[in-house]
Parts: sequence; structure tokens; C-alpha cells
Amino acid sequence: MILPIGPIHPGLKEPLRLKLQTEGERVVKAEIEYGYVHRGIEKIMEGKTWQKAIYLSERVCGICSYDHTQTFAETIEKISGVEAPLRAQFLRVITNELDRIQSHLLANSTFFKCLDHETLFMQVLDMREYIMDSIELLTGNRVNMGWNVVGGVKMDADERLFKPILDNLKIVEEQLPFTRELYAEGPVVGLRSKGVGLMSKKEAIKGRAVGPIGRGSGIKYDFRQEQPTYVDHLDFKPIWRKEGDNYARNLNRFDEIPESISLIRQAIDNMPKGDYRIPVDIKTGFDTHKNEAPRGEVTYMIETNGNLIKHISIRTPSISNIDACARYMLDGVATVADAVATYASSDPCIACTERVAIVDEHGESVKKDFYEVI
Amino acid sequence: MLNTLKDIVRKSSIHVCIVNCGGCNGCDVELVALLSPRYDLEQYGIYVHNNPREADVLLLTGAVTEQWVTDLKKIYDKTPEPKIVVSVGNCPVSGCIFNQEGGKVYAPASNFIPVDASIPGCPPRPTEILEAILAVGPDAIAQRGREDK
Amino acid sequence: MSSFMGYIYDFARKTWVNKFSNAHTHQRVVNKPKRFREFPTVNKKYCIACGACTASCPSPHAILLVRDKDDDEGEGWTYPVINEGACIRCGFCAEVCPTDPKTLECGENHLYEPEFNIIPSKRQYIVDDYLCIRCKKCMRTCPVGAISVVDDKMVVDPLKCIHCNECVDVCPVEGAMKAVIVDNLQDQKDLIVLVVNFLEKFIENKTDDLRSLKKDGLLQYEVPITEIWDDALKIIPDGEIAMEIIRKSINRMKIRIIDWDSDKCKKCQLCVPECPTGCIKFDEENDTIVRDVEKCLRCSICYQTCPFSVIKYFLAKFAFEENEDGDEVIHISVRNSNICNDIVVD
Repeated sequence: MILPIGPIHPGLKEPLRLKLQTEGERVVKAEIEYGYVHRGIEKIMEGKTWQKAIYLSERVCGICSYDHTQTFAETIEKISGVEAPLRAQFLRVITNELDRIQSHLLANSTFFKCLDHETLFMQVLDMREYIMDSIELLTGNRVNMGWNVVGGVKMDADERLFKPILDNLKIVEEQLPFTRELYAEGPVVGLRSKGVGLMSKKEAIKGRAVGPIGRGSGIKYDFRQEQPTYVDHLDFKPIWRKEGDNYARNLNRFDEIPESISLIRQAIDNMPKGDYRIPVDIKTGFDTHKNEAPRGEVTYMIETNGNLIKHISIRTPSISNIDACARYMLDGVATVADAVATYASSDPCIACTERVAIVDEHGESVKKDFYEVI
Repeated sequence: MLNTLKDIVRKSSIHVCIVNCGGCNGCDVELVALLSPRYDLEQYGIYVHNNPREADVLLLTGAVTEQWVTDLKKIYDKTPEPKIVVSVGNCPVSGCIFNQEGGKVYAPASNFIPVDASIPGCPPRPTEILEAILAVGPDAIAQRGREDK
Repeated sequence: MSSFMGYIYDFARKTWVNKFSNAHTHQRVVNKPKRFREFPTVNKKYCIACGACTASCPSPHAILLVRDKDDDEGEGWTYPVINEGACIRCGFCAEVCPTDPKTLECGENHLYEPEFNIIPSKRQYIVDDYLCIRCKKCMRTCPVGAISVVDDKMVVDPLKCIHCNECVDVCPVEGAMKAVIVDNLQDQKDLIVLVVNFLEKFIENKTDDLRSLKKDGLLQYEVPITEIWDDALKIIPDGEIAMEIIRKSINRMKIRIIDWDSDKCKKCQLCVPECPTGCIKFDEENDTIVRDVEKCLRCSICYQTCPFSVIKYFLAKFAFEENEDGDEVIHISVRNSNICNDIVVD
């Protein structure tokens, strides 16, 4: 029997159709249908100056909006042959890590909501509000921050702002071990998450899983290890587990939060003095750039034509994570309720994925499994 | 008498369905944040169910993409009377930043279904959403309930 | 088990009891931080109507410049109006606003002043030093003081310029202040070449008119722009920009036309060694003189050399105007060259 879930469904925040082929309660095969939030964002960006396009790149995805602007700005800096000043890089690290924390907390809270575990859901969301406060304090908006520009960041920050941010982080840090223990040791959550939605390392590599989802299956790969700002000035260790189930993926996200908090502390302590923004003369050229977003690596390919953007294409982590989820994690899940939870554990962000519409030669849209298309 | 009783019941328990018809997800995140203990939407008797068949209020976000042109009306028809539609964010009002050359959006949403109130912002703060919902929601739903008689 | 114990432990804590007995919404929930970007506030009286905010706004329907009606007290205010249904609260308009104090205020963004220009623009403003009469009208009109005199020349500082186009409007000499679109220079060149080739071919095809033209005569034609419009749009798809480039290039354009009546040619070959580019050759097989049109400079040396007045030389000027029906046409006027009028032998 084919069980369609979505596009509007209690378990899903975003529109997407999940088709589960079931035998009794067991899920045999899963298929995902996209196309509900395609807005044509890359086409809008073409022929715009970067000042306008950077606000569009922010609205590719509302949850990890910050990383898109950073990658966009860094790609154009790379094309123009300049590097943002060190102070701007440190400020970017702070915002990036704050964004990572809030995104991880939101992903975990969605998972707990799918398990109907209200206590954890509320605790995690409460922690998230402190992080959102810090983001709002630093950048001026909670979600779409408008903080990055090509050549640095928009405004400087000083002790007056760092102090409340550090206070907020301290509150989160105190609350986090309790919540983590509740999740890691709790028998009810354990039953619903341990051994559910299994994906082996081989399958993760084949399914191109990235970020905490890939690291939950034992892929020891964090793109921050290759980013010069992190490598040269900051100290952190990537978190990974090898179970490959829902439990590992969520615990991974919990464990990355202290790392992020320590990164923010290091960045604030070692904040260098100097410019926070420099003028950039945009050159003509083409380049690719990667960055580690909360969900995995984001890739931007931009071709500029003097002042304007000639062509842009964006690859977000969600597209491969959701695909890996449909192909491997949902395969053989015991119940439909677990299938929804497994889907939530892969931290899906549909707004990220939908920038491509696949059409046939008559202009009719074609819905296919992505593997057949690529 | 019966009407007054119905009004009280309708005002004190509102079921909400979030319909994302093609936005950047930012407004949906802020709606989830409303559930957190800090804002605590449920203390006002508002429950987020995400099920149009048992909803009184449709919270509309997003700028009506191509797939939603037909589906939005279907969702609206499935919602039982009395119902109101509140649009959150700029996208349902004007299409926000997507409503320009190259974009594939069919904003505003009021072309497809009647929208009773809208909350501007990209995205609005949770407090702004909360204030607007509380100012509009309960009275409007009670009013709508009486109209149908 | 520990999660159950967790609950018990949580309920037994004093903080939980305190929170439970004193449950209320904290004031910080509604407080907005200083940097929070509200919808921009507009101070009408400072606005200089430069349009920097509308040019910079990333959202297409968010900001509008409106002008109040004039009344007895004087001219109405001109000021921006924010459409709250479309404003994305990025604060960019407040950053680019050039007035001091700022017309638009948003969060802390209006306090931020970079030392360089951040308004996105496709145009660059350049003073043509040859045409400029140094009347300094542009300098006085510029709302941000971007135009200055350096070495007795007018110079636009691109870092200060806000692209409001007022200097172009006020300039008394057409073409002295140029608003150059900088991003598609190659396409612009292609478009001008297309226009020139089309017009030259058009005039050359009127051989009968040209050959019967008297010494002081004038030929006049009108060509509708629609004949090249489709090809022009293929090069530059933006109709507005294409029209602007065609209009500007046509108004300044002069074309020299060479007409060659090969029937009358006596094959004296005097012109062949005189041609500076060597584009005139004698074709021995067909017993004719051949001119390579691609290489020809239209320098008129062959015309001056030819003793039989076989080669004729004309000057064509153009004007871009609207005719009575409202269609845009290219007005062409062709006359004989006045070089060496005396040697023309009929």
C-alpha cells in the first residue's frame, strides 16, 4: 500500500510529499516529491548587483540563512582576489556558530516533536530562544540577519555586545547537559531512536550524506577542518559517531553545540583589532567556494560580469541529505510513526532544496527520483 | 444565549494550521519559536495542529508557488467553517523579494483565497505575530461563526 | 530510568517551585534590542529626492518616492514611502541615504557610514572634457557634492556619487555629462556597429538619388527604427537600454559614403597606388577595379585622385526623432562633400 504524507501534515513544517510504500506497518520503500516551494531564486539573482543578490541568497533558506550570505560573499571575494579583514572573519565565525547552534537545537526539537516528547521539545526550544536573542543583539534581526557584505561584515561589535552574548551562552551551557542526558539516557526516547533509521557508512557515502547526518554514520568529515580561519586561529574537534541511527544523528547535534560555544568564546577572546569592512572592486571571473553550514557543506558557483552576477548556482546540503534519507534511512523502518521521526532526524530543509525545476522538452514539469535525473 | 456560549468556546480554543505555500522557511521557524516556553502560544488557547481538517485559523506563509496555485484553494475548502486566514510575513501580501523578473511566484495570496488579516515583516518577530494573532484571531473567529447562521 | 528520575529531580528543585508559583511573561520578551531593524522611519524634511533608496532596495515593491501636492505655502514635500507589506527590513535604504541627518532611520544601520559608495548601479558618470563648458551647474546641483574641479576640469568622484542623474538633466550641453552603462560594453559596441552598417547600406542602395545629387543639393530620408529593432534586442535584451544607446549613437553619428560608378570607370588605375590601406585593387581577370569595403577607411583620397569623377563622396548626418504618428524614426540627410569642389568635372 502506498501511504502519502504531506504536503500539509502534522509532522512536517514544510510542504513536501513523502510517499511510503508499506507492508503492514513496515516501510518498504520511500519516495520524496519536491516542487512545492520552487521560487526561481537563482534566475532572479542573474543580472543583479551583489548588494541586491546577497539579500536574495539569504532567503534561499530561512533556518541557516547566515551561511548562504557568507558563502556568497566569500565566493565574490575569491573572484575579486581579496580577503576579508581578520576581524571580519572572526565576527563571521561568531555569527556562523550562533546560527549553527540555533539550527541544531531547532532540528532536535522538531525530532522530539515528532516523537511527541513535549518535555524535551520545550526545553530545547527554550534554550534556542537565548541563542536567537544573541543573534538579534549582534545582527539586528532574528532570522534573516542581513549581516554579511562582500569585504567584511556590516557593523562592528564591541564589548557592549559580547557580554550579553556570553551570558546567554552560559545559560545554554548550563542547561544543555541536563537536556542531553534526558535524551541520551532516557529509555523512552532511546526505544524510539536507537537502531531506527539505520544508515551504514557505505550507504552514507553512496547517498552523499553530509554534515551531522554523514558524521552520524561515521564519515569523519567536517569542512571547517579545511577552512583557513578555523585552522589557523581557532581550535576545535569534529564530532562524529558510528551508529548511523536517529540516536547518533541527534546526539551529534547536541555534542556539536559545546564545540560551537567554545569556538565563539575563542573568537571573542582573540578578537583582533582593525577594519571590519574593506571596499572590494568586483572583477570579472568565475569561482566556486564551499562552507560548512549547520546541515553540511554549501557550495556556491558564481560567474560575474564586472559589477553584475552573470550566473549563479547553489548546492545546498539538504538536497543530498533528504535523498539519502529517502533511499537508505527510511528503508525498512518498522512503523510509519518512526518513518516521520526518521525523516525529521535527517534535518530536512525544503526551502534549501528547491531551486531547480526539471522540465521536459515541452516545458511540462517532470517529477522523478533525483538519481534518475542526475 | 447559545450564540454567546459558542462565542466563548470559539474564542478560548483556536486550532491553527500552518500552510507554507512557498517561502524561505523563516516565518515557519518563527511560528515554531512561538510554541517555546518563552512565548507559550498555548496559554492563550491556541494549538498548532497542522491539520487543515480540524483548523479554525490557517496561518499562511510563503509566496504562492506554481504547485500551490490549485492546491491552496483545496486546502481552504477542506477547512471547516467558521475559518479565518491570517497571512504571516511579506510573501503572501506582496511576494516579498521573489516577486520580480525571473521569479516564479503568484503572489498575492488573496487572489486565490480570502485573507482576513496580514502580519508584515520578513520575518516578523514572534511577539509581533503573537500580538497580531491575539488582536485579530478570537474576535474574528467568533464573528465568522455568527455570520454563518 | 534516569529520565523519570530527571523529572522528579526537576520538580523537586527550588527554582522550579519558584517559577511555578510566580509564572509570568518576562518583560524581555517584548523588548527589542537597539540594533533591531524596525520598518524604516521617514523624516520628510531632510529628503533631497535623490532616489538612492529606491535604487538600492532589493525588494521590488518596498519603497516609493512620492511628492505632495503644491499648495499656497510652497512646493510639496518629496519623500520616500515604505510599503510595509513588501519591506524586508534589511536597512539598506538607511545605509545608502546620503543626507545628513538621515532621511531614513532603521535600527543602527543609519549610523553606519562606510568611506566608500555602496549604492549598486549599472552606470558610471563621466564628464566629457572636450564638450564641457565649465558652467559648474552640475557641481551646484549635485546633492552630495560628488562633483569637484580638479586642474580646471570637472571630475565626478565615483565613491561619493549616488547615481541620481540630476547632473545629466541640468547639463546645458548635450553629451558633456555622460551616464555610461559600464557592464555590457562589448554588447554596446556590437549594437553601434549594427546601426552603422544598416544605415550605410541603406544610403548606398539609393544610388540613383546619390548620382543625380546637385552640388549644393540635400537628400533627406526617414527610416523607422523598427527595421533594426528586433536585431538590436537580440544583442541587448533590455529595450530601454538598447533604445538609449541607439539614440545617443545616432545623434552623434556622421557617416562618409563612397559611391563607385563602375560603368563609367576608365580603368586608369590612378587610385590604386594612392589608397593608404591598399584596399583598391585591379582585378586583371575580370578587367575591373575592386574596392574592399571591409578595409576601406572612407578617407576620400580616391575621390580626390580620380580624374574622371567616377568616385563620389558624400557626408551623411543623422537625427533621432519622432514623426507625426509618434513612431521613432531616424532622420537622414546626405549632401555632397565640399572637399575639392573645383575639380569636379561634369
